[in-house]
Amino acid sequence: MSRGNSISSSSTPSDDALIAAIRGGDERALAHLYRLHWPMVSHFVLQNSGSEDDAQDVYQEGVMVFYEKLRDGSLELSCQIKTYLYAVCRRLWLKRLTSKSRFGVRLLDDEEHGPYLNTGAEEDLLAAEEQDRRFTTMSEALNHLGEPCRSLLEGFYLLDKSMQDLTAEFGYTNPDNAKNQKYKCLVRLKKLFFAHYKEAPI
Amino acid sequence: MADNYEMMTEADYYALFEAYANGELAGPARANLEARLAADSALALRYTDFTELTSTLRAYGERQNVRQQLRSMHAAMLAADTAQEYIATPPTEKPATLTYSVNPMLRLSRTEQKLREFWNGHRATVGVAASVAILAVFSTLLGLEWWRAANTKPSLYGYTVLSREVERIKKNQKDLLNQVDKAGAGIVVPKENKVSGTGFALTSDGYLVTSYHVIQGADSLLVEGRDRQRYHAEPVYSDVKHDLAILRITDKKFLGFGRLPYAIKAGEVDLGERVFTLGYPREDVVYGEGALSARSGFEGDTAFYQVSVPVNPGNSGGPLLDERGNLIGVVSGRQNDAQNTAFATKSSYLMRLVDSLAAAKPVAPYHLPRYGQLAYAPRPQQIKKLQEFVFIVKVFE
Repeated sequence: MSRGNSISSSSTPSDDALIAAIRGGDERALAHLYRLHWPMVSHFVLQNSGSEDDAQDVYQEGVMVFYEKLRDGSLELSCQIKTYLYAVCRRLWLKRLTSKSRFGVRLLDDEEHGPYLNTGAEEDLLAAEEQDRRFTTMSEALNHLGEPCRSLLEGFYLLDKSMQDLTAEFGYTNPDNAKNQKYKCLVRLKKLFFAHYKEAPI
Repeated sequence: MADNYEMMTEADYYALFEAYANGELAGPARANLEARLAADSALALRYTDFTELTSTLRAYGERQNVRQQLRSMHAAMLAADTAQEYIATPPTEKPATLTYSVNPMLRLSRTEQKLREFWNGHRATVGVAASVAILAVFSTLLGLEWWRAANTKPSLYGYTVLSREVERIKKNQKDLLNQVDKAGAGIVVPKENKVSGTGFALTSDGYLVTSYHVIQGADSLLVEGRDRQRYHAEPVYSDVKHDLAILRITDKKFLGFGRLPYAIKAGEVDLGERVFTLGYPREDVVYGEGALSARSGFEGDTAFYQVSVPVNPGNSGGPLLDERGNLIGVVSGRQNDAQNTAFATKSSYLMRLVDSLAAAKPVAPYHLPRYGQLAYAPRPQQIKKLQEFVFIVKVFE
């Protein structure tokens, strides 16, 4: 974390240093990266018949792909972060435009950001789509789970609350009761989740 | 617990798996579980499901956190931009413009935002529609221009002269009929006139005035009054430059027009003078009125007046009179690309022509009218008198 702090305070940290800092969980490094490349993506989307809101959506999704790949250690960058983000956001926006438009879509590209092909963005986005589907299924499974299971599991796995806190919050007599309840909930969630997730075509 | 796996519920397994994943299992229990996982594929699958489920849950939580984080980053970024803007602009000078300079996107009204979105989404379509509209407008204009150019015969005077071409189709039909008749009975039918214009009496002795372009290239001329009385006439004198021609009636039975009710004005008329004309754009006499709009004609020709009188083919050679019924000009033509713009030769040029006629010693004597008689009559009375002296001039080529 200390390394991350020193990097994010410098004005233009190199890609490698940024990646290391973000991987280490430095929020300010991520904010720096976010701010750094926003104008490029915003310009690109606005230039290609998108609104400011579209640009924000696309950019946040793109940064999310980059961030998640980085955090789970599967990011293999063969180019600058800038080029990678451009390629990812370009692909995302193209997809949205194509789904919206009855006509063929031609994008106006900024020459300076090329070559955006062979950046690995395509494969990463396919993986990200799969991940999205997984999360959607999870969200639906949680919705169908009912209370107090849902809040219990969300408290433990999503919000990182301790079993002690949850025991108090849900009024269990002791942490073991809470734990047992949590496992039962997990089993129910498993059934709901896999019932939908594995049925869906991949 | 590790000894009796058969008795365990699925929830018990999950407790075991979690302890194992957290590294909380003691050595023998861990070895036992690892051995079971290696041997029992159903248990191994159950374990995989457990890890996938919990890791998905954690990743889902992480995703929600990061999404929230990115949102606040975006908001913070925009806020920082705004703040920088305020700092960047010194507040002392021009306070009215200071917030609109650096990042205009932030200050859009909702309407403008909507408009921009619409424009961004539809600019291709709008562009195509606009080009089609422009193309249509210009091709229409071009087409009209071509059509007009093809239908307007070029004249000696630059503008459109107003002699009337009597319908060619009718003539062609008659010609055919004539041929049939000739073949049958041998009756000679008089030729149909090709061009017609208007003429009016210059003197009571049988001199008339019309436009030169009306009688240009004529074989013979026929003058027909309102009472359908026809006379043969011949050109006596022409002034090509000023589009004037003087005709004389050659019929022996012609006894004279009687006293002319109008005098010919020798001087020029003032701008804005109310003027009117009588003419034969069709088989009946037609009245038109307007004002004197300019003391020069087409392309500044000072021999002509410009008048705002509606005129049509056939009006050429008609008299142009002022309010008191004095003859001030001879209608010559109109400009097609300008509204309500007709031209008439000034009467002073007619006077000059008459003077040269005197010098040429005419075969028949002539007496110009000296005084007008229409000065204080109301317009319908003026016209009633005038129309006896206005004729249709039929030209046979």
